[in-house]
Amino acid sequence: MVRAKLAKYWVAGVAVLSLLGGVIAPNSQAAAPITLSIWTYGNVIDPVLVAQYEKLHPGITIVAKKSDLDGNAQALRYALPSSAVPDIAAIEISYMGEFRNYTQYLTDLATLTPSASTLKANYLSWRWNDMVADSGQVLGIPTDVGGLAVAYRVDLFKKAGLPTAPAAVSALWPTWDQYIATGKKYVAKEKGKAFIDIAQTIYTAVVNQGSQKYYDNSGNLVYSSNPNIQAAFNYTAAASQAGLGTNVAQYSPDWNVGLNKGLYATVLAPAWMLEYIKQYAPKTAGLWNIATLPGSAGNQGGSALTIPTHAAHPQEAWDFIRWYTSAAQQKFEFIHNLTFPTVTALYSDPAVGGLKDSFFNNAPVGKIYSDSVNAVQPFELGKKDRLIDSTIGQALSRVQLGKQLPQAAWTQAMSDINRAIN
Amino acid sequence: MASKRSTIAPKHKGDKWGLLYVSPFFVIFGIFGLLPILFTVYVSFFHWDPLAGHNFIGLENFRNLFTDPYFYRAVRNTFSIFLISFLPQTVLALLLANFLANPHLKGKVFWRTVLLVPWVTSILSVAIIFSELFGQNYGMVNVAMRYLGLSHLGIHNINWVGQTIPSHIAIASMIIYRNLGYASLIYLASMLAIPRDLYESASLDGASKLQQFRYVTIPQLKNTLTFMLIVGTIGGLQTFLEPLTYGGVQGGDSRQFSTLALYLYEQIIINNKLGYAAAIGVAITILTVIISGVNFFVTRRISGSDS
Repeated sequence: MVRAKLAKYWVAGVAVLSLLGGVIAPNSQAAAPITLSIWTYGNVIDPVLVAQYEKLHPGITIVAKKSDLDGNAQALRYALPSSAVPDIAAIEISYMGEFRNYTQYLTDLATLTPSASTLKANYLSWRWNDMVADSGQVLGIPTDVGGLAVAYRVDLFKKAGLPTAPAAVSALWPTWDQYIATGKKYVAKEKGKAFIDIAQTIYTAVVNQGSQKYYDNSGNLVYSSNPNIQAAFNYTAAASQAGLGTNVAQYSPDWNVGLNKGLYATVLAPAWMLEYIKQYAPKTAGLWNIATLPGSAGNQGGSALTIPTHAAHPQEAWDFIRWYTSAAQQKFEFIHNLTFPTVTALYSDPAVGGLKDSFFNNAPVGKIYSDSVNAVQPFELGKKDRLIDSTIGQALSRVQLGKQLPQAAWTQAMSDINRAIN
Repeated sequence: MASKRSTIAPKHKGDKWGLLYVSPFFVIFGIFGLLPILFTVYVSFFHWDPLAGHNFIGLENFRNLFTDPYFYRAVRNTFSIFLISFLPQTVLALLLANFLANPHLKGKVFWRTVLLVPWVTSILSVAIIFSELFGQNYGMVNVAMRYLGLSHLGIHNINWVGQTIPSHIAIASMIIYRNLGYASLIYLASMLAIPRDLYESASLDGASKLQQFRYVTIPQLKNTLTFMLIVGTIGGLQTFLEPLTYGGVQGGDSRQFSTLALYLYEQIIINNKLGYAAAIGVAITILTVIISGVNFFVTRRISGSDS
């Protein structure tokens, strides 16, 4: 009896083993399971697309670690020289000028197969070049670009006796001077309301319309002498002093309430901010429309995906990056998150370049944003972009709060930057 | 001689075993406490960028620190926020503890548990909620002030982020919110240890409840109060997450609420100057040692005059 039982187990055991063998055999031909790690921030990496990629590639698991923009950059500074690096790292435009100097820590994607240089023609050229090192290595593939336009409240414009059709509104402000003049008229009529949510956002918009920012093409610091920086500062200070904006911080809870209550007649909105407005001010649906930015060209933000030199799975990382930044996925992201694509072929795609959004009164968002990013002139990014941006931002906030006059704020910003970068 | 040796030898042996037993603490402290401190001191002599490399610059970081107006502003802010939070917190905690020490209070366990809820709440969510309360246009604090008619006194639409003292008050209120329950429980514990006959004889002498609190409870809590002061100053010198979440890494447009720890963090994350950040870290350590020393000295004097 006992022996019979043992025999039964024996047979069962053999059966299980052979079954396992049958299962294991074909798998041992395929690649072993791999975990790809990504360090990212904000909504650069869309979890829906990640799940889709995992389904398409059994055996690949993707783990995305999300921090804030500055924290992500700081973690990379420490990690890159070591072996404790992710397979893929997202880098924001304000840090590209720093990271693209470190060709020893980031993989030249042109040396991988297929070479990144075969992809170059697909992407918006100035965004592509932002992650190309001075010595020519391609260190990152651009995932998205900000674009910039003016979202305005049709109802508030009507109430103030301003035109409401996008073309007529855009015609109000071909220049920043005219934008500010319109704002002055508006706040004179509508007491207690703001023409723009935050006047300081004008600064970034004007700066990104120049052909030079804080560095010249040979990498010398020109932040104090570049006339466009000075102009951006002056426009912003003028708007602040005329009382066009509010004192709150963008994306703060107080700012959100203002958005819902119709406190701001206009918002300078990168494409991805439209999605934010939809989520945080859902009741304002249909009250918005979109006009072009004074000076038309505009950008704010944007990211790139890179592969650290010491990454464990560079080839798999490269396969993912190519898939993730390709036209199909960028199209998906634009339709779902309104992050604007860097693949130029999409600008003429009816689903992207032709996209209209009912939340914004069927404004042709696709066309407006593709026009704005196409008009951007390339400029040299530099190592201290983030620091200079935020120090001048502090100065402009002091002007906004009436703590300092523009000239004094500018002088202090220059000495603060000088102290901080040396 | 022989007998002397025999008494000493086992004692030494015991010491050695004792050292072995306490060694885990020293090993762990050495790795996670002492080593980082020594490395911080080392880094403070360098210009240090994790990517670009580092070079020895001697005392330059410290020379820059002593002439850095923003460092002094951070010192000022740190102490200002500490005072604005610590003084009201102590008064409130004593009152709360006195209330909870009442032997006739119903639901003691419930109240004591409720007090600890803010202590276990994440600082991040506290800061987010408080930023909402202190919003300039639609924040509840400003709205409440409007309803109370404070605008007639010229107090209206306070910018709780942009202005120095209001921002300190807002940040201090977060700190009070978090620490109040914990402080109350510490005071409560030592209040319950006060012999009841002291109160009985006081009431026999005709002392009112208020007088009992003033002349019996407070003097009996002296040691606890000094302990809380020392722990509070050390914690106050490290104020970091509240101002960071409240208004960003630079502590406001004129660094009106940049604390020492926040200024250190800014040097790392925005300026990428690790050596300078390390020098600030060393300065914080020295400040902490000095203040703890002063506290200790004062405590000794007080307890000395007591006996």
